[in-house]
Order: sequence, then C-alpha cells, then structure tokens
Amino acid sequence: MFAYTVRRVIATIPVMAVVALFVFSLLYIAPGDPAAIIAGDQATPEDVERIRESLGLDRPFLLRFTEWLFRVLQGDLGVSIFTNLPVSHMIQQRLEPTFSLMALTLVIALSFAIPMGVLAAWKQGTWIDRLVMVFAVMGFSVPVFVVGYVLAYTFALQLDWFPVQGYSPLANGFGGWLSNLMLPAIALGSAFIALIARITRATMLEVLSQDYVRTARAKGVGQRSVLFVHALKNAAVPIITIIGIGFAALIGGAVVTESVFAIPGVGRLVVDAILRRDYPVIQGVVLMFSFTYVIVNLIVDLLYTVFDPRIRY
Amino acid sequence: MSTTTLPTDGFTPAPELADVLPPRKERSRLGMFIHRHPTIAVGGFMVIMFILMAIFAPLLGTVDPTALAPAKRTRAPSEIYWFGTDMLGRDVYSRVIYGSRISLIIGFAVAFLSAVIGLFIGLISGFIRSVDAVVMRIMDGIMSIPSILLAIAMMALTRASVENVIIAITIADVPRVSRLVRGVVLTLREQPYVEAAIASGTRMPTIILKHILPNTFAPVLVLATFLCASAMIAEATLSFIGAGTPPIVPSWGNIMAEGRALWQVKPYIVFFPALFLSITVLSVNLLGDGMRDALDPRMAKRI
Amino acid sequence: MPPLLEVQNLQTHFGTLDGVVRAVEGVSFHIDAGETVAVVGESGCGKSVTAMSIMRLIQTPPGKIAGKILFQGRDLLELTEPEMQAIRGKDISMVFQEPMTSLNPVLTVGRQIGETVMLHEGLSAKDAEQRAIEMLTLVGIPAPARRVREYPHQLSGGMRQRVMIAMALACSPQLLVADEPTTALDVTIQAQILELMRDLKTRVGAAIMLITHDLGVVAEMAQRVVVMYAGRKVEEGSVEDIFLHPLHPYTRGLMGAMPKLGSSLTTTGRTKLTEIEGQVPSLRKPIIGCAFAGRCPEVTDVCRRMAPAIEEKAPAHWVACHYAARAMAAA
Repeated sequence: MFAYTVRRVIATIPVMAVVALFVFSLLYIAPGDPAAIIAGDQATPEDVERIRESLGLDRPFLLRFTEWLFRVLQGDLGVSIFTNLPVSHMIQQRLEPTFSLMALTLVIALSFAIPMGVLAAWKQGTWIDRLVMVFAVMGFSVPVFVVGYVLAYTFALQLDWFPVQGYSPLANGFGGWLSNLMLPAIALGSAFIALIARITRATMLEVLSQDYVRTARAKGVGQRSVLFVHALKNAAVPIITIIGIGFAALIGGAVVTESVFAIPGVGRLVVDAILRRDYPVIQGVVLMFSFTYVIVNLIVDLLYTVFDPRIRY
Repeated sequence: MSTTTLPTDGFTPAPELADVLPPRKERSRLGMFIHRHPTIAVGGFMVIMFILMAIFAPLLGTVDPTALAPAKRTRAPSEIYWFGTDMLGRDVYSRVIYGSRISLIIGFAVAFLSAVIGLFIGLISGFIRSVDAVVMRIMDGIMSIPSILLAIAMMALTRASVENVIIAITIADVPRVSRLVRGVVLTLREQPYVEAAIASGTRMPTIILKHILPNTFAPVLVLATFLCASAMIAEATLSFIGAGTPPIVPSWGNIMAEGRALWQVKPYIVFFPALFLSITVLSVNLLGDGMRDALDPRMAKRI
Repeated sequence: MPPLLEVQNLQTHFGTLDGVVRAVEGVSFHIDAGETVAVVGESGCGKSVTAMSIMRLIQTPPGKIAGKILFQGRDLLELTEPEMQAIRGKDISMVFQEPMTSLNPVLTVGRQIGETVMLHEGLSAKDAEQRAIEMLTLVGIPAPARRVREYPHQLSGGMRQRVMIAMALACSPQLLVADEPTTALDVTIQAQILELMRDLKTRVGAAIMLITHDLGVVAEMAQRVVVMYAGRKVEEGSVEDIFLHPLHPYTRGLMGAMPKLGSSLTTTGRTKLTEIEGQVPSLRKPIIGCAFAGRCPEVTDVCRRMAPAIEEKAPAHWVACHYAARAMAAA
C-alpha cells in the first residue's frame, strides 16, 4: 500500500514536468510573434520590445525555461502585465469561489448521476432507462453556458428562486453561499452528470450479470443492497476513473460558468486576462489548473485500492 | 414475447405460426438499416440537414449576416426578423443560419486533422518502442492540460482567426486519437496473423498498411465524430469568452457573446444560436453513439 | 408427513427474439426432509433452470415460471419478492458451480458469510463475524480468524467452495440446492468437498438437491435420482433402481457413458458415450412425440408421434417411455 502510493506519486512527476514544459513552450510554438500580439495593435515597437523582454523571449529557450521552472517550483508564477501584481497572489485571492463551485458541483453531480446510472441499469430497456440515456446525450450536447443561461433565465429571472448572478463568500453565511452557487453548480454539473450516469449504467450492466450478484440474491439480499452494496462497489473503479478524467471538463466548464454567473473566481480571472492580453496570468492559471488535474487523477489512482482489494501493485 | 402461453399438456401443442408461415417480407435495405441502427439514421439525417442548411444558407431567406442597421437594433422576433435583430441591427436569423458554416467547418476540420495526425503518431508509437516512450509522455502531458485552457492559452498568443481556433482545439485532441490508435496497434500486434506476418519477414510498411491501418479506421471514425461535436462546443465556448473567432465572423459562439450583455432583457439573441448549436452537437453525438454501438463493443469501451 | 419440497408440473420458459425457449417443460418431483436427491442430465437439459426456478432467481420477463413449487406446504411461486427474500439463504440456500466467480471480489469472506446471518437472524456485525469464523471452522478452513478478514482472491478454488458452503449453511437451511458444486474443482478437492457436504448434511440435517452430470457423485451422495432430458423428467427412482435397473433408454445411455471402474476412460468411456448419438432437440420448437426419439436406439413410429406419459412402473420408480415394460422384463 505504502509502496504503491509512493510509486504513484513519483509517477506524476514526469507528467507534471511535461505539462510545465508544454505550457512554457506555447510561447514558442504559437504562430506569429506573441510579443506583438500581446502588446496589441496600437503598441509602439518599444512596447513590443518591452514585452518581449519581460516574457524573456529574447533569451535562449533552455536557459529561460530552467529559470522559469525554478521560480514556479517556489510558487512564483510571474507578474501580471496589466496589474503588476504577482500572478500567484491574484490566483490565491480568487480560489475560494472556484473551489466552492467545483466542490458543490461534484456533490450535486455524484448524488444525482450514480443513482441515475444504477436505476437505468436495473431497469434496463424500460422508459426509465431510456430517459436517463436521453438525458445523458443531451448533457453532452448542450454547452455548459447554454444550460447556465436557461437555468438563470427560468429560476432566477422568471421564478426569482435564486440570485441571478454573483457570489457570496462562505464566511458571510452558508445560505447565501449556497443560493448563489446552486444554479451555477447545476449548470456546470449537467455534462458531468451525463458522463458519470452513462459510465455507471454501462458498468453496472456488466456487474449485474456476474455470478456473485446471483449469489447475493440467492442469500436473500434485497434489491437495494444488491444494487448499492454488492454491485456498485464492484463498479466503483471505472466510475471514479471517469470522474478523474471528467475533471478536466469540470475545470474548463468552471471558466465559462463563472463568466455566465459573474462569479469572481479563477475562471473569471483568466477570461478577464484574455481581454487584456495578460499572458502571464493566463499561463499561471493554466499551470495551476493542470497541476490540480494531475493531482486529482493521482488521488483517483490511490482510491482504486480502497474500492478494489485486488489492486496492490 | 412476454405473452407466452404455457400449454399444460406437454405433448401436442400447436406448432407456432412463425414455424409454419414463410419468412416475413424482406424489408428494403434502407428500412433494415434504420431498423437496426435508429440512432445512426436519426443523427445522420440531422447532420445532413445541417450541412445542407450551411451550403444553401444564401437561399434560405437570409440577408447579409454582417449588414448593420443601427436604426433597427434589438428588435424582437417578428415576421420580418424571425429571430429578431442584435445590438447593431443585424438579422439574428441570417447570422444563425450562416453561423452553421463556421461551426461545421471547425467541427469537421478539427475531427479530420486530429484523426490524421493522431493516426500517424499512434501508428508510429505503437510500432517503435523508443519513440513510444517519449511521445506518450508528451501526449500524457498535453492530456493533463484541460483542453479549453490549452486553447485559451494558444489563442492568447495568436491572432483571432478561424484557422487558429482549429489549430488550438486540434492540439488538445490529437493525444486522444493517438492514444486510441496506439492501443489498437498494441492489441493487433499480439494477434497471431500479425505476428506471423512479422515472423515471415513482411516489411513493416506492408504490415501497417494491410493489417493495422484498416482495423483502426472504425474506432478512429467514431472518436473523430465525438471530437467533431466537442470541437463545435469548444469553438462556441472560446468565442463566447472572447478567445475564439474574430468578432466579425458570425459564429454561433460570437452571436451569443454579443447577446451576453443583453441576455436578461433580450434573451432571444442568445437563445437561437444556443438552440441551433445544441441540436447540431446532439445530432453529431447521436451519430457517434450509433456508430459506436454498431462497432465491436470491446473496441467501443476504449473511446 | 408432506414432503419438504414438492415441485408440480414446473414449466420455465424464456421469451427471446428468436422465439420461446421451453427450458423446463412439466417437471414434477419431491424432496423429503433430510434426503439427498440428485438431478442428473446433460448440460442444457434444464436442471440448473429448475434449481433457479425453485429459488425464484429467474428474471421475469424474459422468463416465465408456471406450475407449483410447494415448500413446507407453501407455494413459492405465490409469494411476494420480500417473502421470497426471507426464505432464500435461510430456509433454502444454494451453492453454485463456479467458486471462482460466485464470491464477491470486493467484500471480505467474513462479510459475505456474516451478511446472511445479519439479514435472517438479525445478528450484529460483531456477532456475525463470530458466526462466520465458526462456519469457516466448520467447513475446515485453517486459521479462520485470519481468513475471515481476507478477500476471495486470496483463497484457492477449493477454499472458495468451502466458503460458499459455509455461506449456504450459515443459517442452517432445510434445503440446500447444490448446482454442480464440484465440477469446477480438482478431483482430490472434489472428494474433499463431497465428504464435507455429507458430513455437514448429517450435522445440520438439511435436505440436498444435488444437480450434477457426474454419476460418480450421484452414487456417492444421493438416495434418489431424477433424470432430466430436454427440459423433461424422463425417469425417477432410488439410486439402486437407476443404477441397476434403468428403464429409460436415455438413462441406460448415461450409465453407459459413465466410465466403469477398472476400465480406462479412453476405451470404454468413449465407445459407450457414442451410444447416445444425435442432437438434443431444439427447445425453441414444440417437441412432437418423445423428446428422446431422435437419439433413441429403440425408437419406433409410436415414439415419434406420441409423447410417453410419466408412469410409476415399479414402486417409487417413474419412467416416461412407451417401452418401459419391455425394459423391465429384460431386467
């Protein structure tokens, strides 16, 4: 167990290194002159030169990368071109809303998606199953921000059940926090629910045809316990795997959702940075989110051993 | 079949009608296909309709989608302006119809490019061990960057254009195809007939062309269909947050981005492109779902 | 005293896209308390489906069960699902053929044994684990206190089948349905498991419905035998009747197919096996005449046209053959 954990942790290091290298190289891969593009159309040649220098584009790639990597490892993500503030500081200030949104989305998505998938598998071929599958395809097909607008228009503007936009920090009370985040979390969760419900259904169908499910029934175990104890625990590994993989979509969706609902999170920070061509901020956010994604998938790897005793590498 | 009758005496039940009657009239080949694969039929039909809509956009009662008419700003949907007009007085209906061109071009281009590049990379890393180790590390790395963020970073460094959007989304999608292809190649290499071909000294290019490549087409086609759908969403998302196609282009994402400021009072500007985008993506996804189900289920699991 | 289990005219059919499969077609038999009855026949003859029907573990639809299954006087087919759940694992329990796949891989052995007693006897988790340890001791698993915390993949095939038996017997059931309990095991392990079942049967006092295609197992374990063919019961009698005076040509064929002691499997076994030539009839189509007609060496026109009724030709010896009397005379 300990050896497995250590090995998995070590295995993420090269992945993180490649992520860092790739994110850094974007400046060099991008077609055209990034300095000129960041400086904008009205910039003087001096401005462009200044930005080129601040991005380090005038120095050799490897030297610049090594310097940059060392600073990243110390938590220094550079300085914003627009505000001159440290990027890591800017991200830190915006973490709470983003983290809150993702956490609530995960809770909502899992508590809906897994029962939906289990139910669809149990009632395979019935209208319940078909309804879940239709919902799953829709969830994949309707963009998060469209769901967001539909929800905001219906439940905030028309019915006035929730605030239309904005965020209220957890420190100001749980009720305000929850009511502000409810619609964004459901919007962001729609695609995630579709993804998880689908994989849950497929895996459960496979598990339910196994001999040990028949054994459980032969022991007199009730339907609910057959589904949620005997079968679901066996279906857990593929489900948590897809949760890990789907986390990337969750991050991407959060950026858009924060824009729709005017939530002052990291996603909003990156969207504002696009409009200001503030590349260091964009780079910092991309790096931060990518590392988060790698760590989430590391956690998923470690969770395997909790759900399946056979996994002991 | 649930209305089975149970004869109580075991020995002289009437033979079932199905055993006595001649086989039912053959369905037409098309009818048979629709019956077997309803999702492919529905998805495929709708995708074809959208393609026709994009091609014949000028003939569908549209006006110039970029024509400004400041006097007729933000009109509600009416007989003249079916979907209303936007802040600059442009006809939303025309913009939405023409917008299908952008979405479809981006969807197909991304699907095609990532399939071709991914196929190439996947084949090579499936066959050459030394390349595999390095290339797959890079692919894992790229896959660890949430694709929308990767595209945002790319777009921040280039000029807004349809081509650059295609490139930005393709870079994020290539690793998915190459991982799939590599997996297929590694499985196929274990197959006795491929091992036999290798052992009997068949040249690598021949093996790849004759035995490997044909087997990768089906799964790659399915994956490419899903990538086409997700690319259309990605384009709309990028344009929506201002990192996509240039604002002058009437893409669905841009129309929605422009309607954003007014969505609380003029929701139709956002609503119509959103509806068209969702239905188009849905059709492509249905097509992909149907094709995946028609494929070997074990292969389908990978996608 | 009424029998413990009485199956009357059981019919289990499955609706499939290609038509109705008549897996069990009018089977009747009974099992007395404490008795071991073997159900034998080739694979696909409906013996497992019969067992699953008694447990009511057939999915309906596509399955459909008709007839009567009287257990202690109650018709199991009339019970609600919760009532049936209370019987499964408590009064009737089952051991399956595949010990490798019949245990849940992600739950501990103790949990799986203990679940039965928690469910049916309301024991606490702690007491259930204690019972699980006792049961493991009973079925002869060494170091039960350690094994109880282990997962199935940590056990050998023979041990897993012991665990299955421990699980089935944890609530001291009246009837144990054992579906090919030894088929998947090595010969030496087979003998151990049979020995264990015999031993436990006397201790727990359960009746056993033993499904097998291995006549050696039948001879060793059973008092009575039910022979099934193509979803029908073709013969029933005491072990002596069936082995020494088989009346149905199919039963005689099975006896011939069994390798005799002292003869090598390759010579006697193979040549005798070919005695039953031909294909089992399709269960998708109604069978006209005797189901065995297509393969019977003694077939006549009567057999092809008319199905024989099952009749008691000798005391407690039932057979469904037009020419049973002739066979009796010959014997």
